[in-house]
Amino acid sequence: MSNRVTSIRLAGAVVATAVGISVLAACSSPAPSGDTSAAAAACEPAKGKVTLQYWNTVPGMDKVVDLWNSKNPNIQVEIKNISNDMYGTIGNALKAGNAPELSQIGYDQLPSLRLQSAFADASVCPDALAVKSKFVPWAWSQTSFGDTGVFAFPQDTGPMALYVRKDLFEKHGLEIPKTWDEYAADAQKLHDADSDLSMTFFDPNNAEFFNGLLWQNSAKMYDYSGDKWQVTVDNDKSRQVADFWQKLIDAKLVRTDLAHATTPMYAAYQKNQIATYIGAAWGYSMLRDNLPDQKGKWTIVPLPTWGTSTASGNWGGSTVAFMKGNTHLYESVKFNTWLNTDPEALAMENELGGLYPASLDGLALPALKKGVPYYDDQKIFDVFAESSKNIDRTWSWGPTQKTTNLALQDALAKAVGGEGKLTDALAAAQEMALKSMQEQAIPAAAGN
Amino acid sequence: MTDIATSATRVAAVPGGRRRRLNGGGPRAGTIAAFLTPFFLPFFLFHLVPVAYAFWQSLLVVRREGGQYGTSYTTFGGFEQYLLVVQNTEFWGSIGRIGLFGVVQVPVMLFVALIMALLLDSPLLKLKSFFRITAFMPYAVPGVIAAIMWSFLYSPQLSPVVDLLNGIGVEADFLGPNAVLWSAANVSTWLWTGYNMLIMFSSLQAIPQELYEAARIDGASNWAIAWRIKVPIIAPSVILTTVFSIIGTLQLYGEPAVLRQISSNISSTYTPNMLAYAVASGNNYQQAAAISVVIAVITFVLSFGFMRLTSKRAGL
Repeated sequence: MSNRVTSIRLAGAVVATAVGISVLAACSSPAPSGDTSAAAAACEPAKGKVTLQYWNTVPGMDKVVDLWNSKNPNIQVEIKNISNDMYGTIGNALKAGNAPELSQIGYDQLPSLRLQSAFADASVCPDALAVKSKFVPWAWSQTSFGDTGVFAFPQDTGPMALYVRKDLFEKHGLEIPKTWDEYAADAQKLHDADSDLSMTFFDPNNAEFFNGLLWQNSAKMYDYSGDKWQVTVDNDKSRQVADFWQKLIDAKLVRTDLAHATTPMYAAYQKNQIATYIGAAWGYSMLRDNLPDQKGKWTIVPLPTWGTSTASGNWGGSTVAFMKGNTHLYESVKFNTWLNTDPEALAMENELGGLYPASLDGLALPALKKGVPYYDDQKIFDVFAESSKNIDRTWSWGPTQKTTNLALQDALAKAVGGEGKLTDALAAAQEMALKSMQEQAIPAAAGN
Repeated sequence: MTDIATSATRVAAVPGGRRRRLNGGGPRAGTIAAFLTPFFLPFFLFHLVPVAYAFWQSLLVVRREGGQYGTSYTTFGGFEQYLLVVQNTEFWGSIGRIGLFGVVQVPVMLFVALIMALLLDSPLLKLKSFFRITAFMPYAVPGVIAAIMWSFLYSPQLSPVVDLLNGIGVEADFLGPNAVLWSAANVSTWLWTGYNMLIMFSSLQAIPQELYEAARIDGASNWAIAWRIKVPIIAPSVILTTVFSIIGTLQLYGEPAVLRQISSNISSTYTPNMLAYAVASGNNYQQAAAISVVIAVITFVLSFGFMRLTSKRAGL
């Protein structure tokens, strides 16, 4: 962060301004990054003991790894928590050539990291190919980039659902909305009944959330064909989503002054000002832990759909990737398979880290079949399991997703502030996606 | 910046002083080297080298070959990155925004600091050390913590201030599209006024008491002493704090970045440094380096331009 005095005392404006960035830049090597498959040519078991580095941000993962280490004396795993600036840490390590064997990577960052040759291809290991059928199909499709390799194993997903304050719904005689149209109608009724009560909030600074809604409507942002990335952020389907929210915002049926997962957001829920929360599977513990007073007042129902479609959306989730320079692919695959498919490991990750498994067997965990006390003993994970089945498998992320997300957020925020419409934000994000790809010499064209 | 500091103090302390020529050779050269190395070695390693490296990076462009996930390499691109900076409307937008911020916030902050320094220096004020400490205290709070504290006072959900204003019928929106820049300016002012005050106050302390006595004998009031004697004498300190503030404004990052967490009216490209950071986090290090160099040049021109302008006027 900016510290006026220190920088000035040290050496002055010119130096100080440039130095922050040059620290970042110092790590970018001009040399062409090597072929990812070269290092990964072999999948031979090592002779003797192997120690793997595994970086992640999951609370309680140390205990899961302890369990593995106690069972596997010859494949020891060392863990590092990189919650603080996750991608910065990974990016620096990659450029310095000392990346860990395995690292947590979000699905939406996979393409941009692959573009920087960040991964090792584990498809040389037969075991890595064999686990394909164990994972939720869309997640595997993203980690294998449509079966062109095996760069990561899915760890958790964020199938979306609607969290409903059933007491407020009952009080105002509302039905659970099945479609987005019904949701909008309910929002109107709620507003008419009590103008201090809103259906939900729209946080323009949360592209990941908005992307989840786009995903539900199969509003594909990217495609790859004809030796080019086809950018289709601004399309009919995405405009449908944007128009829907624009109408809710224009009619003042949703709040726009709250940022997701911040103290003000929880305060608004705490004060009973908002009746629903559009969230992912991992959100169940957020409400439970931050709104303890509202125990028993929430229920979880499927995300409202677009017309007769049953499609749901996904928001967030992560993978465990095989990183560049990994010379112990055989052992890495073994550990990664256990970590993300073994019932005991998955149960711990769910309990300690709140992870909703990407493994098909994981979805049938006993812990995920039980009622959850906070939700009045509702079997909430059944809702997420159903949602998980209804997620479009062909969705893919772009090679400059972060930049696209930032542009989308900035333009959504402008629209919410009254400058233009949400649909304009799609055009702005599309333009920025193309521009950022051009600047990095990635062949791209507007595909719409 | 050591240059600015020394020139300012030199002007104040030893007008017309001439540096004695050092005799070269002998054990003296070794002594000089021993004293200078601890400064110049880190200065070279941690300032000059990174700056040069950033400049070099800013001259490179990324090229790529081989399919969808082909490999990339960088090559010399001349001023291509700079052309992109010049064409970037977001960049000039952020410069304009920060310009507006500086034109308002810097004079307000320095004026308040000057008044506070004069009050502390006045014989009329009691409990001086208490006021000195409390005025300086915000500076001891890290900028990010200050911004978080203020964001709690700005948030309509949490703020007692907003509740109070709403209670008396004033619609307060500190985080609205037009207000948020000034909310950030307020945090900066709160943080830095005490610091600037202390610089001015310490120059006031250095003024010999005889001057005041002489002025009083001539019949000058406290008011006249303050504006006719104190302020002109500490002008170099005021200029120095202005230069610091210009630099600080151009480097603004912490306050808006924290307020961005709770207000969508601060974009990812709100200030020049935020833009550079956003570009760097999108893996476009070369463009980020070019943006940084341009920010540095603008900072350099503005701060040294200001110094030249004011030192000529003040005849310093």
